[in-house]
Amino acid sequence: MGVTVLQPYSVPEGQTGPQTIEFLAKRLLALGAVQASTFIVDCETFIPNPQHGTPKTVHVLHNSEYPASTFAVLDTGTKQVPLVADALFDLLMLKMAPAHTSKKQTKIESKGARFEYGDFLIKLGSVTMAENFKGILLEVEYRPCVIPSNCWELIRELLQGFLGVSIPATIPPYFNTPSIMSMNHPKSSEIFNPNHTKQNDVYQPMDTINQYLEHFGNFRKQTMLSGGTGIGAPLRS
Amino acid sequence: MDSLNNALSAIKNLRSSVGHVFEVLANGVQAHHGDDGRDSKFLVQFQELFNNVNLNLREVESVINGLTPPPAPFNLGHTAALAQETTDERQALYSQLVNSYKWVDKIHEYSFLANNILNCNSLRRSYISYSNKRGRLQISSCNNTSPQHVDKVLNELSLNSLQTNYKIWRPFGSNAVVIVNIGRILKAAIVFKGVMIEWVTVKGFDESLDVDDLWTESRYEVFRKVQEQTHSAMLHFFSPTLPDLAVKSYMTWIHSYNKLFTEPCRRCGKYLYNALPPTWRDLRTLEPFHEECKNC
Repeated sequence: MGVTVLQPYSVPEGQTGPQTIEFLAKRLLALGAVQASTFIVDCETFIPNPQHGTPKTVHVLHNSEYPASTFAVLDTGTKQVPLVADALFDLLMLKMAPAHTSKKQTKIESKGARFEYGDFLIKLGSVTMAENFKGILLEVEYRPCVIPSNCWELIRELLQGFLGVSIPATIPPYFNTPSIMSMNHPKSSEIFNPNHTKQNDVYQPMDTINQYLEHFGNFRKQTMLSGGTGIGAPLRS
Repeated sequence: MDSLNNALSAIKNLRSSVGHVFEVLANGVQAHHGDDGRDSKFLVQFQELFNNVNLNLREVESVINGLTPPPAPFNLGHTAALAQETTDERQALYSQLVNSYKWVDKIHEYSFLANNILNCNSLRRSYISYSNKRGRLQISSCNNTSPQHVDKVLNELSLNSLQTNYKIWRPFGSNAVVIVNIGRILKAAIVFKGVMIEWVTVKGFDESLDVDDLWTESRYEVFRKVQEQTHSAMLHFFSPTLPDLAVKSYMTWIHSYNKLFTEPCRRCGKYLYNALPPTWRDLRTLEPFHEECKNC
């Protein structure tokens, strides 16, 4: 388990998504990377029936890196509660149908080829929502390191190297949020150290899921702004 | 015993006076006797000497008369046995003496040659000096130190570092195995023999490193490479004359890996080369280099 950073990549003008992915895959292979199977991360969103109290959205995600687990995030609007459960959790959600209903047309997933380059793991994901191509999301994992702030520079150099674009020097904003450990502490306001953010904490598989959720949310917002496929209510209040 | 000594000295006097008489007689008449009447002068001198001899002889006789015969024969111990057999052939000592002389000669010659050869070779791992007594003592202090001494050295180290923690195990009797955690970057197991470092295993922070399993390599390429570098540094820092200092400088060096992922290569300025961060640390300055950049 290492540090994972997600990086959206915009498709250049006049090219299709699959063409761009093929182009990036060729660059990776030329660099010396080896393709090692495929991956998929999917996200399904359950919205509550209005008659059951305060609305709480539940996002259920699966990551092919952790095939035995189901990740769930309960979103109250102000706070997000993460949960890691067995794969059986999916069946439990089906039983919850009266309280939460799945919006099939908002099911979003990122899938594609998985490359190994030294200790790096690079995934070229094409994001699709309800079978429509939405964009490209790259995942880079540096496996030997467990502290995001330590290896951000390495990941940034690798991304700049094979994407050929400039990546901002600062670590993605997700890692600047306070770490879960300090938030859950009863006296967090007293002992909270502003430097103790996620970037200085040990990386957890849940951090990958949270990043995917954030980027999936962005893709959905883009769709809504461009008025593409027309989704109903906003997913995140 | 005094009377015996007197008798012996009297005999010596008698002998010397007799010797003098014969010497004068042998020289005959000489120049210092003068020209006239030299025969008579020579005769006078001879009579004088002869009287001396008579006096001495009388003295010897008187002293001998004064001696009392010993009550029993003297006890001569083992020396008495010497008189039993005097022929060389029967004793066979001579050939043995010649052999041992030859051996001593050869040993001397060979040790001289060996010393010359060993002095030429400065890259030896062992400290051999057959004439230096201090050196020999220090060899034993390097391999064979008491566990308390090793504990003391390692405790001093752990007091000096904040980000590194040390755990000492003794799974194989008295020799220590130290598990070192460097920051949240890597773990290393250092196997000691006395205060000499014998083996180092490096693994990632999220990998397990037990004393039961010191030999499996890390699953990450970067830590396998770092392990190679720690082994070459282990040989570099080895010093049998100052074993404590060697361990301390090695620990300082290995501690510089706490910035393994955060420092770019000092030569090329990049973080990555062949998908690896700078895995080599300079032995003196502790500056980071890629393995490929360090010799440029």
